This record gives sequence, structure tokens and C-alpha cells, in this order.
Amino acid sequence: MSDSLVAPTAAPARHLVSPSDLDLPLVESLLALASDMERQGQSPAQAPLRGRIMASVFYEPSTRTRFSFEAAMLRLGGQVISVESAATGSSAAKGESLEDAVRIIGGYADLIVLRHPEIGAAERAARVSPVPLVNAGDGAGHHPTQALLDLYTIKKECGRLDHLRIVMSGDLKFGRTARSLALLLARYPGNQLTLVSPDELRLGEDVRHQLHRTGVSIRDERDLSAAAAGADVLYQTRIQRERFASVTEYDQVRSVSRVDAALMRRLPEHAIVMHPLPRLDEIDESVDSDPRAAYFRQARNGLFVRMAVLYWLAMGT
Amino acid sequence: MSTPKAVILDGDGIRRSLRRIAHEIIERQPDLERLTILGIVTRGVPLAQRLAQLLHELEGIAPPVIPLDVRGYRDDLPRSQAPPPALPADRVKDRPVLLVDDVLFNGRTARAAVDAVVAAGRPLLIQLAVLVDRGHRELPIRPDYVGKNVPTSRQEWVEVHLSEIDGEDSVRILERDGA
Repeated sequence: MSDSLVAPTAAPARHLVSPSDLDLPLVESLLALASDMERQGQSPAQAPLRGRIMASVFYEPSTRTRFSFEAAMLRLGGQVISVESAATGSSAAKGESLEDAVRIIGGYADLIVLRHPEIGAAERAARVSPVPLVNAGDGAGHHPTQALLDLYTIKKECGRLDHLRIVMSGDLKFGRTARSLALLLARYPGNQLTLVSPDELRLGEDVRHQLHRTGVSIRDERDLSAAAAGADVLYQTRIQRERFASVTEYDQVRSVSRVDAALMRRLPEHAIVMHPLPRLDEIDESVDSDPRAAYFRQARNGLFVRMAVLYWLAMGT
Repeated sequence: MSTPKAVILDGDGIRRSLRRIAHEIIERQPDLERLTILGIVTRGVPLAQRLAQLLHELEGIAPPVIPLDVRGYRDDLPRSQAPPPALPADRVKDRPVLLVDDVLFNGRTARAAVDAVVAAGRPLLIQLAVLVDRGHRELPIRPDYVGKNVPTSRQEWVEVHLSEIDGEDSVRILERDGA
């Protein structure tokens, strides 16, 4: 601590907007902190964020993400103010800009959690926010705490983040979770990514280019069943109907990329199945009781990871 | 009010100091693989992160950096003012722990940090790294790694700016006016 006589300086706050805000030492620190949070139980007895207020500002609905952020803040002893649907239930309905809203909310709260339908909205908001801001998803852009909780889950379930064979399936074009996770996994040595998606939903060239530069091995595969046979992690994502011209095309794509009992027979015993949720029928419910089905444990890990992120940002970094 | 007297470290100076400390840590830490770095809130945290980044570049290891809020353990502030830190026992138990802070002055913050660690568990050892040691200890506290020793008078104080928090890197000595 500096001498107590030092005048406080106006400080630009730190934010978590995209995976590029997370260098490897910071990722390791947040994963360690999340594991500390988990080991202390859901409510650290000391309530380290007592007296702090988090504003959750959601311009599009997301019960799951909003609840886990709000639960994380409450379990750290902090308090929460929130707008359930900021697009209609706030002054945005009167035409107020996102930037103005964030400036004003930042005057009331110590942390802001923002979900917005436009790519780049969180970046714009962070530029003017007087307090730390967490991107809780900006359209098809980024959702860094989801990528972190995916990493946390893999580390916990597989015991490591390197030398893994990861199969990603489903919508790799618009699905931000798979994209962010691929970029983070590429920073660890020896990982092999196998991508299984219909042509319309292939991982974008921009991300492929970034991945190639890291030297991670990437392979495209048509057949999920063949890919699953050599997987340590099978990361399934939801395919949205509106991405397809016709229902027939949509049904055809879905039928070849389902995780069901037959596919689970192909998946190695030690492997895990992940999914960012919510799922439709891309994972059959019969899979839920298989111990390799990690997606509900994964969702629960979101609480500890978000506790870690909020704690980290609130501690003035 | 205060009058700035001198810049004692600029951005390059801070970078060089941290690089040297990182090398010293590599030489002198008994178990780098199990090291936990605790950054003392507030400016100890970005300094700890920079050290972790350097250790990663130099040795390929990424020790976790955990922010440590020691206000609940200070002896010169009301006990109820701030809660003690959230630190589980096995984060420190049987591990080497490195405390990182910006300025070492009377030693009361460092003592509070040691108390906070010991309250959580029994570490293998605790070391202390500071960017600036300005002297005037009131407790038997000695840093293990020092960026720069800066002899000061009690009328002066040291102000550390870090880009992560203050938008720039610098260490300045200031004189208290009318003192």
C-alpha cells in the first residue's frame, strides 16, 4: 500500500471484454481463484465484497448468465442492482445511447456486467465506463467468462489444459463460445482441435488464421462419430434454425451431429461432453445420466469463475 | 498539498527493476512450480501480475496471482472497516508464498499481509517483493526483493503510478508542503 497521505488518482478501470484481455498468467490466476472460491464453498465466510454494488445491465434476455453473475456477487457479500430487459425497461427505450447509460450506471455501481445484442457494444461501453465492466456477451462477439468457465471445467475434469484432443461440433461460425474457447486453448501446448460443422457454419477464416499463427493443430471432420472416437473433450453447441434456408436442411444437419447413446459408445471412457447450454436436442436426454456428461457441472462452474472475475476486478486491478 | 521533487523511476526503470526481481526470484525461490503470488491490494496486484508475466516469459511457468486485501489485518485502522481476505488454506499451505507491494515504508502493511497468510494456513515460507523500499521501519520487517532503495525523510512520500491503474508508469518523491 502506498503512503496513506497520497492523494487518490483518477484511475481508468480495468475491464474484461474479450479473450484478448486475458493473457496466460491472468487466465491461470483466475482459474486458481475460481478453484479457491469453490473450495471455500459457495459463500466465503468473510464476504470480501461486502459494501460493493454490481449493476447487471442486460439488453437481451439471458436468465442463466444473469443469475450466475448475480448469485456470484451476492455470495461474495456484495449487492446487485439490475435491469431485466434494458432495451425496453430503461431509458434506452427513450433513445439514450449505451455510452451515456454506462457512464451514469458507473456513477451508482462499483462493477457493471453488460449483455448487448451488438458485436463490439462491450468494447464501446468499456471505453467510457468509470468502473470495471464485464462483457456478458455482445451478439456474436465475445463472452469471456463463458470461455473461462469452459477452461476451468476442462482443467478440473481432465486435470490439464495442454496436450488434449478437443472436438468442437455444431455452429462454429456464429457460436461465440466455441470460438473464444478455441483461441484460449491454442495458447497451451500440444492441443489438437477437430472441427465438425456443416459448411454453412464453418469456423470463420479470421479465427482460423489466428489459430494457425499459434501453431495449434486444426482438422476439419465431416463425421462426428469418427471424430468422437479420438476425443478427450467433445464440445457440442446449439445449431439455430434461423441459420438455415429450409427446415429440411436444418433437420438434416441436426440428425448427423447429435450426441446420443450410439455416439457415447464411440466416445472414450475418460472423455467428457460439454455444452454451453441451453441445449435443444443436439444432446439426447438419455446422455445426461452418463458420468461423462459434464455440461451441468460446467454450468455450475460458471458461479465460481464469475466469483473469481468479480473479486479480481473489484480488488482494483 | 504536495510538491513533486523528483521522478526516481520512469517506465523503463520500473521495467528493469521488475525484470531483475524476476531473475532473483527464479534463483532464490525453492519451489517455483508451487509458488503462490499474493498481490497486496491495490498496486501490488498489477506489479504481481507483471512479475508472473516475466516468470512465464523466462521460465515458462505461470504462478497464480491472487489479490490480497489486508485492510482487515492492519493495526492502525478500525478492525471492522474492511473484511479479511478470501484465502483458502490450501492456497498457501506448504507452498512458498510471495507477497508483492509497491512501497515498503513502516512495515505495517507487510505485517498485516503476513498475518492474513498465516491466518489462512501454514506456508512453506513467505517472501516479500517491493518496488520501492523507502525505509523508516517501525517493525522488524525486511524485504527479500527490492526494485529500488530510496532514502527518504519522513516529510517526503513516495507515489507509485502504474499504467494498469493510473494510465502511466512512474515513481515520484513528493515533499509535504509546510512540513
